[in-house]
Amino acid sequence: MKIKHIYILTIISIFIIFSCTKEKSEGPSINELYGDFDATASLLIGNKNPNFQNNELTKFSCDFGRVVDWKISITGLVSSAKKIITGNSSILDSNINFWDGSASDFPLFIEENCAIELTFLTQPDTLRDTILITGPQLYDDGYVVADFENGFPVDGLIKPQGNNTIATFVIADDQPLLGNYYFQMGGKVNFDWALGKIDLKLDYSSSPISASAEDFYLNLGILSDTVDLHTGQFMNILISESDEAFDPDGNGVADIFDSNEEVYKLKIYIDWDGYKLISIRYSDFVATNSTAGVTFAKNPKDIKGMRIACQACPSSGATMQCEENFDRIVRTDFDHIIFTENKAFFDVITGFVADAWNKN
Amino acid sequence: MMKINSIIFTIAFIFIQLFTIAQQDEKVRFSGLTRSIISRDLNKTDTINPLNSTSGYNLIDLNTHINPLKDIEILAQLRIRNEFGSFFGSGTQITVRQLTAKGVLGNRIKFTIGDMYLKQNKFTLHNYDEELPFFNSDFVSSYRDIVHYENFYTDNRWRLQGIQTNFSYEFDRFIKTLELDFFITRPRGYQYISNANRVSDMLLSGGSLISKINSNLTFESNYINLFEIPSSGNINISVRNPVIQGGLNYHYDIPQAKLEHNIQAGFSERSWLQFDSLTNYTVGIFSEFSSSYTKKDSSLGFSFGGRYVDPNFRSSGSQTRRINFNDNTPSVYPEYSSNELQRPISVFDIISDPTIYNQDLSTNLMGFNPIYSNSLPFGDATPNRLGVFAKFNLISKNKFLELNFNSSYFEEVIGQGSLLKRNFVLLSGNTKFNLHEIFGLNKKLSVSVSIVDETTKRSSSNAENVNLISRQLNFSSSIETLDDLFIQLGYKSFNSEGNEYLTNRSAYGNIQGFTPINYNQNDNMYIAGLKYKFRPNVYLNLQYNLWGTNFNDSNIPDFKYQRLLFIFSVKL
Repeated sequence: MKIKHIYILTIISIFIIFSCTKEKSEGPSINELYGDFDATASLLIGNKNPNFQNNELTKFSCDFGRVVDWKISITGLVSSAKKIITGNSSILDSNINFWDGSASDFPLFIEENCAIELTFLTQPDTLRDTILITGPQLYDDGYVVADFENGFPVDGLIKPQGNNTIATFVIADDQPLLGNYYFQMGGKVNFDWALGKIDLKLDYSSSPISASAEDFYLNLGILSDTVDLHTGQFMNILISESDEAFDPDGNGVADIFDSNEEVYKLKIYIDWDGYKLISIRYSDFVATNSTAGVTFAKNPKDIKGMRIACQACPSSGATMQCEENFDRIVRTDFDHIIFTENKAFFDVITGFVADAWNKN
Repeated sequence: MMKINSIIFTIAFIFIQLFTIAQQDEKVRFSGLTRSIISRDLNKTDTINPLNSTSGYNLIDLNTHINPLKDIEILAQLRIRNEFGSFFGSGTQITVRQLTAKGVLGNRIKFTIGDMYLKQNKFTLHNYDEELPFFNSDFVSSYRDIVHYENFYTDNRWRLQGIQTNFSYEFDRFIKTLELDFFITRPRGYQYISNANRVSDMLLSGGSLISKINSNLTFESNYINLFEIPSSGNINISVRNPVIQGGLNYHYDIPQAKLEHNIQAGFSERSWLQFDSLTNYTVGIFSEFSSSYTKKDSSLGFSFGGRYVDPNFRSSGSQTRRINFNDNTPSVYPEYSSNELQRPISVFDIISDPTIYNQDLSTNLMGFNPIYSNSLPFGDATPNRLGVFAKFNLISKNKFLELNFNSSYFEEVIGQGSLLKRNFVLLSGNTKFNLHEIFGLNKKLSVSVSIVDETTKRSSSNAENVNLISRQLNFSSSIETLDDLFIQLGYKSFNSEGNEYLTNRSAYGNIQGFTPINYNQNDNMYIAGLKYKFRPNVYLNLQYNLWGTNFNDSNIPDFKYQRLLFIFSVKL
């Protein structure tokens, strides 16, 4: 083969390669990121008369022409209940953007008309519509763990850390989430992690709970503030399915959370001001590192107790990790702890820290 | 003080010993470089920087070539550097800058161990020039020499450490010659990225095969593989990037000229091994053809060709840039204005600042500024390009005129963030008038003018529209007044206007988003100076520079600075 033949073949090959290249693009669409906002877009609502008791959904769809920060606000015209759904996208996809009747805060929705507003962070436009709730979401299958309206649960234990000289760990009435009372849990221990804990005795063995851990939710409101915030404060929630006696030795600390028991744990860092309403799947709790022989078979019906511990990273002493928080007051107050089956009260939060065993 | 005396005494002792040996049997010889710089920078832009500041240094790079045997040479380069203004001794740095041993086994196999400068094909291992073509303008050559020398840039080679060997054979049938070259180097050792985590050792291995099939036809193939050794780190992520290339060169002579035709193609793979599975696996190909005509007296030459580089073609050895615009700040006035803004890299910094340049191979495409190079920011190996190029050069018979002209038209293979594709037009021309040749002057008098024009377009009626024009104008004049004493006058202007999108890439190089950016920028640099050339590599240079950038944006303050520079450079 002569060189000119090879040469011609190469040129032809280049054009074949080029012609074979699929017509596509790299990266996200620039038009969707930076194109013009479509001010003529209309908000389409699927099911304007939802009956949430029948597991119906109200679905939203809209095409904005470009990626925007959007917010759907649903307001009960009688109850004043609110639900906020936010996102960042170029469209509202009805398969993703829907409402199941839950509220973002208390109070909850009732059978009522609701105003719907779709607003945008960088655009002045507001799209409005209304729907009628024919059947509000019911939480009859909720299991209240503690709401502090009638004092601290009779079988519960309160154990502030001994060195927590300004420990709160009391029921208070100045900032309840619901009703008249909530539980204050905080204080200051500069040199150690633990500030104290409460243990609550539970028994759902005779309850009709049938949901799996995936469909079983823990709902609660956690109250803090950002005044001189302790940046290393967090709450450990432990749930025990141990069949052992709750506090057989009467030392004020429940034994069902010991390291040789079936215990599940979640850690929530707290860095907000006011109440944050949280729903957590029980399946997101992780089994603690335990001694050999413990069988972990998570089952909501077997729950026997809950521990809520207040902790913060030490700001002095031998275990000091966050010197900048020295003398800052820790605040991890909470109210209205309730389990629900199949439906969460609020937006389900995931991604909490599940770290090594710490029974405190 | 005792320590300093001890160091000086030790060095003096070594030198005396080496000189003694050298005089005895000529097994040691010396070469090296010495440089003295004093720069005085004047600031009238803001009050956060001093009104003026002076800095400088003296350095000596002493190369000791030791030949213990006829076929063995050991090279050690020792650097002694003293910053001006530092307390005696405390500002003196003594470092070993280079250590290499090389030799020949049995008169046949050459080997090199230690520091080495490696280059292969343009698509496998090649250290492409930095931005701003016509960097060779004489009036910035003093700066260029320093930038290149300090960053070990020699002949588009990457400086690496490892072992290399090459050997060749001659045959009397089938093929004429066969040359083979192999190397393995370690561009990076394992590194701790946190208290507990460390990234793995990175190695670069490769080989070349060049065979003259007959007197006109040459076959070439190159292979490199940049990879990490997972077991040397503990983050369980390691990159692999092999690239292979093959090509044919057909060349022959006609009366008064040489003709050459080249074709080549190859492909790359890149992936990361994460635990036991591969992630972000991509394969990309490239191909190129070119032809050239060169008169035997080099008075006329032209070439043209075409090139396709796949969007997924990744070659760490040839796509690593000299300047990473995403991760660099200039060393002169890094912050400016009363708001203490980070000063962007400007034309002056590209020309003069050795510290913004990179010496490490990168496994991902590095950041670039589209105003300075948008057509081929990663050289000929720039991915996602299809196009043609042509070059022309002419030297008149009386050497009065030297002319260079380069042009290229490239288009993206696939769009970025759009189905539409950008196209890039690059035109550059350089003319040098050697006036002393036409006027018959005894002393040299030359004037150079060059223009570089780069246009990027993606026509669209919506946000996808891109239209960016960058234009560079250089003027320089060199006037020999006394023997070997030149007056230098220079002007460099860089204007860029239009809009572009900067790409944001993930750790694996995938495009995650785009940042729109508008330009209306003017960079200017004026130079006036005197240069006395003792010899081509031995010179004194005194320069005055006035430089700055106008952004034509009320939100971005402009800056303007001045510099008085003295350089004395001796290269042996």
